[in-house]
Amino acid sequence: MAVCVAIIGKDNSPKYFCCLNPDEELGFQYKVLSSLDVVEEKLNTTNKGTNDLRELYLGMLYSLETHKIYGYVTNTKIKFIIVVDSTNMALRDNEIRSMFRKLHSEYADIVCNPFYIPGDAICSKSFDVNVKNIMTGTV
Amino acid sequence: MSRASTRFDTKKVNSELVTLTYGALVAQMIKDLDNTEDVSKQLERLGYNMGIRLIEDFLAKTGTGRCLDLKDTADKIQSAFRMYLGVQPNVANWSAAGDEFSFILDSNPLTDLVELPDELKNLKYCNIICGVIRGALEMVQLDVQSWIVQDQLKGDQNTEVRVKFIRRLEDAMPAGED
Repeated sequence: MAVCVAIIGKDNSPKYFCCLNPDEELGFQYKVLSSLDVVEEKLNTTNKGTNDLRELYLGMLYSLETHKIYGYVTNTKIKFIIVVDSTNMALRDNEIRSMFRKLHSEYADIVCNPFYIPGDAICSKSFDVNVKNIMTGTV
Repeated sequence: MSRASTRFDTKKVNSELVTLTYGALVAQMIKDLDNTEDVSKQLERLGYNMGIRLIEDFLAKTGTGRCLDLKDTADKIQSAFRMYLGVQPNVANWSAAGDEFSFILDSNPLTDLVELPDELKNLKYCNIICGVIRGALEMVQLDVQSWIVQDQLKGDQNTEVRVKFIRRLEDAMPAGED
């Protein structure tokens, strides 16, 4: 299952970060932030003229020996990054896509909270719980 | 009118719009008045003003007659909840003297997707409902007090609004705006 999830805002500032293993957090933060370059590249190359509406899912951004990094961008330029352990059973593309869809829907719910100001860091406990469920595939 | 149910019904409004509107209203009030007590009081007052008008609409739509006793009143309010909010609360916790009861809501469309941040722990988000009940009953000459006992936003199982009958208003007092 996913070992790390990050949500980056449209100005590339981190909004939310969650790791299943707290020791590796710093390492993952580094990997996630460097994969943002790949995201930017993909956004710039696919945006020649027509806006690509179908492709919110960016696919695999980066592949390290131990981990794979997948990206997803919303139309409001919010980026979701999922880091998956390579040693895990090979997660099919569909499963990653469905994880992103669930993440997107959780994010939409959190944004509907009148006390959440878009642009702030997300510190909701129920969001935490839901994201952990998505990461471990129990939802 | 026979329309496919997938067409937008122009008379009804998407409930998310109501939730988001109410949320935006509360958030703006918090910004304007820093004190959560004041915001709660204002919400109650808002509810009161809504209630004195909603009762007319309710009576016109249902055409009900006088209530025989408080239990009747509770049932009518229950059907009003269903009509306006789309939820059916349970009426429970009658006091021994029969003058107090509670509405138990296990889902509340006003609080969908809302999470209270820590600094607003004292905010009575659903106070508008208390105000509506008070305002509506005052227009039918019943003086009641209503308050929130349990609140889902604060971690309780469900939202409980308690209503207490104070007295019957004998004079036809014009509804005073606070």
